[in-house]
Amino acid sequence: MKIVAAKGILKANDQLATENRARFEREGIYAVNLVGSPGCGKTTLLEGVFRATDGRAAMAVIEGDLAGQVDAERMEKIGVPVVQINTDGMCHLDANMIAAARDGLAIEGPTMLFIENVGNLVCTAGFDLGEHLRLIALSVPEGDDKLIKYPVIFQRSHALVITKIDMLTHSNFSVARVREHMQRLAPQAPIFEVSALHGTGMAELADWLLARRTG
Amino acid sequence: MSIVQALIEQVGVEVAESGHAGNVVALDLIIGRLSGVHVDSIRFAFEVLSPGTLVADAQLRIEQPRPELSCRDCNARHEIEEITVECDSCGSRNVTIEGGTELLLQSIEMEEPDGT
Repeated sequence: MKIVAAKGILKANDQLATENRARFEREGIYAVNLVGSPGCGKTTLLEGVFRATDGRAAMAVIEGDLAGQVDAERMEKIGVPVVQINTDGMCHLDANMIAAARDGLAIEGPTMLFIENVGNLVCTAGFDLGEHLRLIALSVPEGDDKLIKYPVIFQRSHALVITKIDMLTHSNFSVARVREHMQRLAPQAPIFEVSALHGTGMAELADWLLARRTG
Repeated sequence: MSIVQALIEQVGVEVAESGHAGNVVALDLIIGRLSGVHVDSIRFAFEVLSPGTLVADAQLRIEQPRPELSCRDCNARHEIEEITVECDSCGSRNVTIEGGTELLLQSIEMEEPDGT
């Protein structure tokens, strides 16, 4: 005897993500899921976005890490409301964690909510958090072959930010190669080349994010 | 691992909703080749996580659909193994890739009430 289900295996997560998205929209929150490898510069990128938006939009952050609070402390230091999620070994955030983290954030009115996912290019691809935009960061030191090795996450991202662009001169990283592969995987996704540390390219990224939020 | 955990939980919900009792004999899954999920990892995680649950004795039957490339210039459609940029028929790069990202629990086969 067969029970026909024909449902997504991650249906429970997808439903919660849909609820998150509806809640965010009611509350005027524009949510961005920031993914990328460990050490690709996600937190530094958020610090840079905060500087570059320069008060044009309220910002808040949900930090996801296996353990520790170092990223949340960095956000607190620059005055951004933040909640840290510790996944206790889980390699990605899921929609349920985000619902709980939203409850823990004291924010009101239109806000750009950045969700810094756990550093991982595999499992984070499958879990919708209820975000409006998925942003992937790829750093120059990681190498330009990540798009070949982890195509799914790039394919499912709305924009690519190449971080640590100031390190190009010290590496054989090819921006052209990355652009070519991204064209194949996600032809609609814009590509930004930034150094969050030095501010290079950050104004362009911040403007795009702000426009995307209202558009 | 967490995908298999979600799968086992969902099987529990589906079986409870169906009102049927008994052991689960097999699960039919559809895992597309572009889903980002490796079938071997699913099988391994299932071996680790299934003991003691209602799917402890269930067999996994996995279908792996290929993505399909369709060409906007010559209207050809091909099943492809991995993401490519060119149409095999006319060489155009004006192509779209569809499917292959499925991650579905298609059906659950239950033991018949008389034990067969």
